[in-house]
This record gives sequence, C-alpha cells and structure tokens, in this order.
Amino acid sequence: MASLPKRIIKETERLVSDPVPGITAQPHEDNLRYFQVTIEGPQQSPYESGVFQLELFLPDDYPMEAPKVRFLTKIYHPNIDRLGRICLDVLKTNWSPALQIRTVLLSVQALLASPNPNDPLANDVAEDWIRNEDAAIAKAREWTQLYAK
Amino acid sequence: MSRVPRSFRLLEELEKGEKGMGPESCSYGLAHSDDITMTHWNGTILGPPHSNHENRIYSVAIECGEAYPDQPPKIRFLSKVNLPCVDQNTGEVKKEQFSTLRDWKRSYTMETLLLDLRKEMALPSNKKLPQPAEGTTF
Repeated sequence: MASLPKRIIKETERLVSDPVPGITAQPHEDNLRYFQVTIEGPQQSPYESGVFQLELFLPDDYPMEAPKVRFLTKIYHPNIDRLGRICLDVLKTNWSPALQIRTVLLSVQALLASPNPNDPLANDVAEDWIRNEDAAIAKAREWTQLYAK
Repeated sequence: MSRVPRSFRLLEELEKGEKGMGPESCSYGLAHSDDITMTHWNGTILGPPHSNHENRIYSVAIECGEAYPDQPPKIRFLSKVNLPCVDQNTGEVKKEQFSTLRDWKRSYTMETLLLDLRKEMALPSNKKLPQPAEGTTF
C-alpha cells in the first residue's frame, strides 16, 4: 500500500490521544484508511443510551474528497436509510478540505440529536416522522433498545 | 491506490446499478433492499444478438461473501441456459471453467462478471448451442 499521507496520520493520532466525547474511531490494522467507529446516541434524543457502530473510509483523494461513512447498526432515522447510508450536507456538497474526520463524526452525532424529516433519505421514515412525530420517536427509541446495545 | 473496503465498494456498485449508469445489456441490484450486509444480489443478462440467446433475458443470483472483492462472488443462473461453464443441474457458474471467476482481480465488479458471461454466450463455439425453452428455470 502507498504510504499514508501525513494529514491522515496526524488526524488518527489526535483521534486516539484526544478523543471526542461519545465517539471512538479506530483504524483497521490492515487498512489505515478504514476506521471502525462508534457513536453514542446524544442525551435527550431518541437514540440516548444506544451505541451505534459505523464504518468510515478515506478515499484516495481525501481530503479533497469527503470521507465515506455508513451506519452498521440498524437505526430508525429519516436521514439514514436501510443500508446505513447517511444524508448529510458535509458528506456531500458542503464538504471542505478544512473539515476532518472528527468534525464529520460530530456532525453525524448532531444529526442524531436533530433529525430532519424535510430532507429525507429514508422516505417512509420521514413520512412517519411528519405524520406522527411522537410515534416515530417512540419507534426510534425501540430500535435503539433492540439494535444499538 | 488504497483498498476500498467491501461495503463501500458494494455501495458504489449499487449506486451505479440503481442509476442505470451501466450498459443496457445487463442489470443488477440487491435482492433485499434492507440487507445491510449487501450479500445477495439479483442480476439479468440480455442475450447477445446473432446467437441462440438473442432477445432472451437471463436471471442470475449473485452472492458477495465476506471476502468480496478480494475473492470472486458466487453466481448462479436462475434461468435455464446451456453453456459449458454452467452446471446443468444447479445453474451455478463453475469457477474453474470460467476465466473471469478463475482469474479474478480485485478491480472486477459484478458488471464485469455479467458482461463476460454475455461474451461467453456469444463465443463462436457457444452461440449456436441448443438452448432450453425460454422461461424455464433451474
């Protein structure tokens, strides 16, 4: 494998030495661009007390190109689809090389705290959310208990 | 080049398949849209012209295991087809008799596989092989 860019090495070191509260990110030994990630559900959100597994990959063009991030834990959220794909502006059009792995993961954590059913990726979930928010939140809580332990 | 992990590679293939950005002569997608492991896929191959396969649509089932794309997927015809590389009892494409599977490279995709099977159908030695009735399945 080609040597790892300094920027990635520095980011990785800082993720380990100065971790973000509620978030862990550990590179795989055989692929240092591929991270195993956990995010704790934010307090006072339907995802509270859940621990969600994600995976993150830094493509060849990183940081010119955004990291690729996906949920591995099933989650009921209007902006996350059934395959764990995330609809988040900083992962798409609003990516900037000034952002980092940690800022991306913080944005994902913030998305858990404030679901946005008006910009959905999972249309059926978003419709539930708009039609009956209380029921949707209850279901998100239930899935957190079921899958995010 | 860095090694794209299995899941992100499969997501790329899925998006290409879903958006119909690939060639018209084949298609592929997840067998179950909520399969978070992205293991089971369905595909189709449009029979090549000027052969006994012309105008036929063949369905296949593809299984991308844990080691994909380092290791080739398993692929099985659901539609009956008479080809030397296809097991006539199960529909399975026999790895040893199909070079794309036998000499698999990480850069190959499900699309490579489907297009190469289509080429196999069009080989001079294969294109006039008698074929089972259209619409029959293994």
